[in-house]
Amino acid sequence: MASSITDTLAAPRDRDEPSAQTPAALSFDDLPLRALTDEQFLARYKTDRFTASILASRMRYVVKHMSTVLLTTAFSMILRDWYDFAATISGPRDMNYPMSTGSDSLSIFMFTMPEGIRNTIEEFGPENLRPGDVIIANDPYRTGLHVNDVSFIRPVFYRGKAVAFVTIRAHQLDMGGVVAGGFSGNKKNVYENGLVISPTLLYRDDKPVRSAFNFIFDNARYGELLLPDIRSLYQSLLLGERLLLESIERYGIDAYLGAIRYSCDVSADSMREAIRTKIPDGVYEAEDGIDADGVDDTRDYRLKLKLTKYGDNIELDFTGTSPQARASINCGPLDVKAAAGVALKMLIEQQSPLSSGCFRNIDVVIPPGTFCSATPPGGPIFMYWEASITVLLAIYKALAPVLGEDAIGGDYGSLMLHNGSGLTKSGQPWLTVGNCGGEHGPWGGTKAGDGDSYTVFHVSNNLDPATEAVESDVPVVVMRKEYVADTAGPGENRGGAAVRRDTLWLADGEHLSIALHAKEPSGIGVYGGRPGTTQACWLFPGEEEGGAGLGPLLPADDSILAQSVPVVGLLDPETKRVDPNGRYYYYASRKSWAVKAGGAFRFQTGGGGGWGNPLARDPERVKRDVRDEYVTIEGAYRDYGVVIEGDPINAPEQLVVNVEATARRRREMAAA
Amino acid sequence: MKQDEYAEFLRPDATKRPVSRDYLEQLGVDLEADFPGSTPEDFLEYPVLGEGGWFIVVKHQRTLATVSRKPWRLLGPITLLSDGLDFD
Repeated sequence: MASSITDTLAAPRDRDEPSAQTPAALSFDDLPLRALTDEQFLARYKTDRFTASILASRMRYVVKHMSTVLLTTAFSMILRDWYDFAATISGPRDMNYPMSTGSDSLSIFMFTMPEGIRNTIEEFGPENLRPGDVIIANDPYRTGLHVNDVSFIRPVFYRGKAVAFVTIRAHQLDMGGVVAGGFSGNKKNVYENGLVISPTLLYRDDKPVRSAFNFIFDNARYGELLLPDIRSLYQSLLLGERLLLESIERYGIDAYLGAIRYSCDVSADSMREAIRTKIPDGVYEAEDGIDADGVDDTRDYRLKLKLTKYGDNIELDFTGTSPQARASINCGPLDVKAAAGVALKMLIEQQSPLSSGCFRNIDVVIPPGTFCSATPPGGPIFMYWEASITVLLAIYKALAPVLGEDAIGGDYGSLMLHNGSGLTKSGQPWLTVGNCGGEHGPWGGTKAGDGDSYTVFHVSNNLDPATEAVESDVPVVVMRKEYVADTAGPGENRGGAAVRRDTLWLADGEHLSIALHAKEPSGIGVYGGRPGTTQACWLFPGEEEGGAGLGPLLPADDSILAQSVPVVGLLDPETKRVDPNGRYYYYASRKSWAVKAGGAFRFQTGGGGGWGNPLARDPERVKRDVRDEYVTIEGAYRDYGVVIEGDPINAPEQLVVNVEATARRRREMAAA
Repeated sequence: MKQDEYAEFLRPDATKRPVSRDYLEQLGVDLEADFPGSTPEDFLEYPVLGEGGWFIVVKHQRTLATVSRKPWRLLGPITLLSDGLDFD
């Protein structure tokens, strides 16, 4: 031990010898990379700085190409258009499977991958691996995420030894269970949840293992899409393997292994410095939560966070979090770690690429049996992102007071995912997952500017499928995708605006919508900014079901909401408008929402949180927001103290700011 | 304490256990020299998830200084339905 507390903190963290079960971790060294001499660098990484940097870049090139193969050859929309996958490279067992490289895609996929690969290969038995293998696993408790997110892991052999693992975690359209597509917050246990695949050989000697394919295709729906997707995934892995082996042949195995370690050390180095310099020592606490589970709305679920920071280290303690839910809205510890990693990358360290090294100075403490650390069989995990988003938000909240201008406003905070399925009149099955609900929405404001208004929430990083692609695949017409005025959290830099999406259904179907952040805004305001609005969803039955028969285009006017059947939201019981003091309408009050052809849904996401004092926003920026219909004239007066004159609908370019009235109004607001 | 005992001990409202002076000495901690002014009550033992997976750590709570970090089970506190099956 060192001789004092100070020396102890300055020294590398102590590590005991690893057990046989878990091989040696990467060694710890607090000396920044930039402080190493060339000789020290060579001794540590068995190669020079230039080569290590080239190989680190080359590994990013490899995962990009793996991703491109999948994007250009996948058949299902969820991969082809949603980018619902991630590719990674991990090092060998004797380095404890360090994940050096991830693709430019789903961040929560990436940060669950290090454990997912380690757990899969250790259980399968590294001694059982051969060249030409592909191992799969999808168990949320072993690999994180949900059963539809299957890990396809390819060991890369060099001179008889597995020196790398190229992996793609990719969403499969269906993995069985009680709901087509799997997306439901109502599944009560792991038996209803879908097919759980423990580490299983899918290819041996580069030939499909028949029993494994039967295992999947005798349990999963939509096999005609799954099979070509799996073949595309296999080809992506082959490309990754080939490119990696070419790199090893060219630069040598020592340099390659050194570059794996170097890539992780770069991330660790940057994160450690960010922790040390951007967060004052102290204990920071916060809570966040979700509204209900899929059983009833009598319980809400609260996440408790105690974040301790001292010196270079952070500990995130989630002790005291609500017990696990009775339905599949839970997530697991790996998802919590992943969300924490995304939060800290977003808040304090955006410079270095993702790798497992990001966590070198971060520890997560979470007991089992909470809704963020659910256990089988009664704690099914499927809508994992809804729970893990609370982790990110709690960290945002906890650190906002000390990050000052570096704080980030909350995003829309929930996919409010829509899932629909049925048969066309000709008997053809159809399924849509995540294309027609509130899946895309706004981010919060930051010191850099206003929040974007149409993207995917922070813990993810997907794309938005083209409307035309959605409409060609399923019997739906997307009638409206637009921003909603006065929903963005006001701020010097405002949040992004809520997104409203109307869909008209042309065939009978069963619909689910899982919306779990309607009771309080997830778009938290920071640095003096204010929160955005909450999410909501309404159903408009068609004439056949006694609905109003509103025609192909629902009027945009909120007065039409009075004719709706509320699906979810805090709404005024009479007008059905979003109202923070309204009644809570519960998404799972019906097992599913049966809709006849001619019915329509309206989804409205939450608004992004504002950054900075709204009274400090340049009145000309407010005027532009009124012109662009992000803010109404009334909202400009109420939220920003800016008096705008003119007609934003018919003469938007003739709007003017009444400077004197604005100054007067702002003085009044500041005094209040 | 045996490592697997943690899985039974852990509850949503309790994750950390106290350690004794003897235990700290076994870990090589010279309390007076390494952490002047601290007592065994300033240390706790518990599982964490970090780089490299799950570990059982002993940390000085005020400074987060780690005095012991031992690899734990691969899945940490999670018990699978298939755990404990004996196929042989």
